[in-house]
Formats: sequence, structure tokens, C-alpha cells
Amino acid sequence: MTLVNETTHIQVPKNPKKRGGRSVLSRGVEALLTNRVVLLAVLIVVVLVVMTILDSAGQLSGAYNADYLASSLISAVPLAMLGMAQLLVILSGKGGIDLSVGSIVSLTGILFGFAYGPGGWDFVPALILAVVAGGVFGAVNGVLIAYIGFPPLIATLATYYAYRSLALVISNQKPVSSESIQNFYSAAQSVEIPVIGATIPLIPLGIFTFLIPTIIVVWIVLNKTTFGRRLYAIGTNDVAAQWSGINVRPNRMAVYAISGVISGLVSVVTVAQFASARPDAGTSGNGMALPAITIAVLGGVAITGGIGRVSGIVLATLLIVWLNAGILLALPGNDGSQFQLLALGLVLVFASLLNGLTKRKYGGI
Amino acid sequence: MTLDERTKPAPQSGRPAAAATAKRILPLPVTGQEFVLIGVLIVLWILLGIFTPAFLTPNSIQPLLVSVAPIALIGIGMTFIIITAGIDVSVGGAIMLCAVIVAKTLVSADIPLIGAVALAVAVGLVLGLVNGFLIAYGRVAAIIITFGTANIFQFLALRVFGSSTVNGIPSTLEVFGRGEAGRTLGVPNSFAIMIIIAAVAWWYLRHASGGRHLFAIGGNANAARLVGIKVQPRVLIAYALTGALVGLGACFILASGTATLDQSVGSGKELQVIAAVVIGGTSILGGRGSVIGTVLGAILVQTVTSGVTQLGWPSQLANLFVGIFIIIAVGTDLLRERARRKA
Repeated sequence: MTLVNETTHIQVPKNPKKRGGRSVLSRGVEALLTNRVVLLAVLIVVVLVVMTILDSAGQLSGAYNADYLASSLISAVPLAMLGMAQLLVILSGKGGIDLSVGSIVSLTGILFGFAYGPGGWDFVPALILAVVAGGVFGAVNGVLIAYIGFPPLIATLATYYAYRSLALVISNQKPVSSESIQNFYSAAQSVEIPVIGATIPLIPLGIFTFLIPTIIVVWIVLNKTTFGRRLYAIGTNDVAAQWSGINVRPNRMAVYAISGVISGLVSVVTVAQFASARPDAGTSGNGMALPAITIAVLGGVAITGGIGRVSGIVLATLLIVWLNAGILLALPGNDGSQFQLLALGLVLVFASLLNGLTKRKYGGI
Repeated sequence: MTLDERTKPAPQSGRPAAAATAKRILPLPVTGQEFVLIGVLIVLWILLGIFTPAFLTPNSIQPLLVSVAPIALIGIGMTFIIITAGIDVSVGGAIMLCAVIVAKTLVSADIPLIGAVALAVAVGLVLGLVNGFLIAYGRVAAIIITFGTANIFQFLALRVFGSSTVNGIPSTLEVFGRGEAGRTLGVPNSFAIMIIIAAVAWWYLRHASGGRHLFAIGGNANAARLVGIKVQPRVLIAYALTGALVGLGACFILASGTATLDQSVGSGKELQVIAAVVIGGTSILGGRGSVIGTVLGAILVQTVTSGVTQLGWPSQLANLFVGIFIIIAVGTDLLRERARRKA
């Protein structure tokens, strides 16, 4: 270390030694590791810079510019919303996790599709149906977990099977579609924002109609309501929460119901995106639960409960979405989607190792 | 971990419990949940026998046992992991990678049966060691790590695949298959091998100190550490063992299909395996579980799947029943536990 030399040369009080002899560098590292929002912001900038350099070097198959980034946000809508659902359930602690979100998306999507399409319902009642149905399916998880004492992993594994099966059986394994559902595709298109629209790229409509309202509501619930404060308390230590007068069970059940409600909303988004209600919308491939859990862990949610913020989810989603979009340009076609798997896996492993490391080294995320 | 979990004593660990088990194994090596499962299985088989006359015939039972073998085999490893309060959801990706490496090798080189099995087990073992090392020494949540490695294994498998299928796989592995060559005295070889491995695993968990340590770790890892159990190596071994069994299971799966392997080979298998384990009475919170239960659970899951198809119902309905069985099996166990605590 050259600290001593520096101080003797400069001989002014503004030397880098402060509080316990730590350098600016080590404090910077601590800020980066303990404040997940800072880390994610830095990583997003790194991804954007690297991709822009690759782009200007002619290594990408398309332009990695503001228009492309804005249009790729379409995939951020379901990801961030389900990430928000996982934030709530993981926050609630005791192994909280929801594997069934993808199946709820599939099943409520089919119900919405039947109502809005062949059923001839108006949009608003059909949307309400999807949301209520999602809430009921989530509440089933909640009852099993909060009142009967199922480990969340097992309860949501069982309902993952059950809901997925129901979605496939009631739809006869065929997508539900009709003219009104196909026209509904317009809800997934990009729009110009009023007033400042001409100067910034077109943004997918779903960002405004579904994602931003969800973000705002979840943020208010977590930070401005007693329910939110109770949730952090339960997640940190549910016995202590019980003793401090919180009725743990209904609160724990509520988060799973809310997770179902958000999944119901996501199902409407996916119906718009596919222009049909697909029975495997939330479960095809690796399903939607895995990316959502990845987003939550990457966003700094502690898997043990009690720690996590909405801003982390939002930034983690942007990182994953823009990284995926870049990979798709760098490696078009099959290669791209395969490397997206690799990226998601590596990010998840490193994010959780990082969570463990920061917890041991600095305490807390 | 909450207070009441921490204060719960580690079940079935230490001397008195071992003595109790020793007394219990003499008449029958099964416990409550296993009796329930056997009862459910008998009822199911009788019902299916009544409604589908073809069900209780060798032509139906033999393929059923062939499909049970890999799920139960991997479930044995998963039981070890879940007893330590861990989980491995990367099994599907690992099966895919083991199967495609063996299939590609068999297509391009003329290797004998033992070589193919050794290769699969070696690949699986390496994957299990990766999981185990990250979980035991990285000290992070098993579900998150294995979700991550699931993606990485799947990526590697897709790179090895190259195209969507591997065609013209030679019949080297047919001794584990569905055909005549895959049976000895009418019993599928793969099922017999699984039973032998299950017996060894059962003995290890019940009577070897290493096995008892796994229960202690799952009951309370910190307490286990304090009484001198080497927690990290034991956890590592549980994941490595599962990896090796995944390798053998991948051979069974490869043999039970046609000469073509496609990319859906491992999809959903991790959930089937976990379903078999929890239906078999192993507690996801760790510290409690049995290999016999897992084997019965795997038989139950596959019976339901096969039964639904034979009844002419939509095959997707099987998953609904699997979900319901998980809820019933775990639910009754929870209620029994609650009654026991009150008594």
C-alpha cells in the first residue's frame, strides 16, 4: 500500500484515509456491492457501451440504437411484472417463491381468451375476469402455504402442474383466437408519447398501460402502506412479527393472491403480444417463473425474505432485456436464443453468489 | 429460518432414533407415509385393472416399470439432497446434456455398453459436482443456483445437439430398453438395477453414519456442524451422487426411446422427480425422508400418467392428478405432524 507515502507527499487533510483507514476504492466497492441499484445501473451502462462498440465495429446484425432498445422493451412488460410478483412472495420469507406464475398466466389467458373472443365479452369485464381468476388461483397457493403450512416451493409446484394441465385441457391444447383477439394485438404495439414523442423513440404501449401502473402500485403498497411494512416485518422474522401484533397468516396469503393478480394481468399482455390466447403461454420452454425469479434475485431480493426493492426489479429487468436484445443481434437465430439461456444462467449464479458475498462481508444486501 | 424451525429438534438423528429404527426394520422396513402410498397404489391398480382390462397385464406393467426406473433412480439422489434441506432443479438440463453426449458418442464411435454408461455417469458426476461445489462452498440458496445451472446445462446440451435431433443411435443401450432384450425373467433390467441401487441407498441412509449425518444436516445444519459433522463435504457428495444417478438415468431414458433423440429429452423431468420425492414423504424442509417412499412416489406418478392415457383421457390431465397427489400427500403429512405436536 502506498497510502503512507501519499500522505507524506501531499500532507493535506484530504487524504484517502477515512473512517478506519479505508480508501476511496474500497468504499466505492462497498457502495457497488451493498447498493444493488448502483451496481445494476453500472452494469446496464457497461452492456450499452459494449454493445454500442460492437455495433460501430460492424459486429452486430442490426443497429443497437435507441429505437431498437425502446422496441425491445416489449419483453420487459411481462418480465418486470412477474419479477414484481416474485419480489412480493420472496419478501414474505419462509422460503417464499412462486413457481406457478407461468401456469396462472396460461390458465387466466385462456379464460380471458374465451371471454373476450368466442364469449363476446367487452374488454373491461374480460380483464376483470382475468384479474379475479388470477387472484383466486394465487389465493389457493396462499391458503395452502399460510393456513395449512405447505412449503411454498411444494404448494406452487403442485399448482404449477394443476393449472398448466387445466389450461391445456380446457383449451383442448389449441390457441384460442377470434377477430377481436387479433385486433387486440394493437395493444402490444409501439406508440409515440404525447408532447415529447417526436424527440424520443416509440415505446411499446404495454409499458404505459400495464407495467408502469403495476410498478407504481407495488411501490406504493411496499413503501407507503402498513401492509407493505408488515410484509417486510414478516419476511425478516415472522415469529417476531407475530409477537408484535401482526396477524401473519392473512398477510402471507395476500402476497400469493397478489402474485396471482399480477399473473392475471400478464396473461392479458401475452394475449395481446401473441394475438391469441395460447395454453402454453406461460409454461413453454423454461416457463415464465425462472426468468422472473432471476430478475428478483438479480434485483437484490434476498431469497431468505425481508429484503428487496422495486427499483432493483426495474433495473434488473432493463439489464436482462437489453442484454438479451444485444445477444440476439450479435448471434442471430438459434445461437442467439441459446446464448440467452447461458447469459440468464450465469447472471443468476453470479447474482446469488454476490448476494451471499455481500451479506457475509457487509451484512445485508 | 424462523425461530420455531430452529428450535425444532433434528428428527431421527443420533443414537436413540437409530435404535428405534433398528427395532422397526425387523418386521417391515416401511413407515406411515409409505403404508399410505402402498394402499393408494393398490387401490389405483385395482381401479385401473377394472376400468381398463389391459392395465394389469405384463404388456402394460413392463413399460410402466421401464418409465419408473429413471425417475425413481434420480429421485434416490434427490432424496439425499432434499434430506439435507437442499434441492436440485437442474436435473432436466443435466439429463439432456448426459443423453446428448452419449448419443453423439454412440453415433460417431463404436463404444461398448460399459463405455457408454461410464461416459454418462462421468458427465453427470461432473455436473453434480459443479452444483454441489457452488451450493456447499458458495453458501447460497440451492434453488437459485440450480435454476442457474439448469440454464447453463441446457445451453451446453443445445450446443452439443447442433441440430434439433440426433438420429441413428445404435442399440448399444438396449439392455435398459423397453424391448425383449431389456428384460430378465420378465422384469425390466433398468427397474431391477434401480431397485438394487435403492436398496443400497436405503441401507446407507438408515444404517451408515454418513447417511445419518445427512438427516442431521437437514434437521439443523449449524447443530450438525457443532457436533463435528463435516457439513460441506456431505452436501457436496449428495449433489455429486445425484449427478451420477442422472447419468445412469439418462442412459435408461435414451434406451427407452427410439433411435432418435430430440431436445425435449429432459424437459419437465426435474419436476417429476421432485414430485416423486415429496409424494414419497420426504420433507422439503429437510431432516426427514426415505428412499422407499421415493420409489413408491415414482411408481405412483408414472401409474397416474400411464393410467390417464389408457383410460383414453387427455394425457395432459395426468399433470392435474400429479398436482393433486402432491397436495394430498404433503397435506396429510402436515396435518399428521400438527396432530403429533398437539398430542
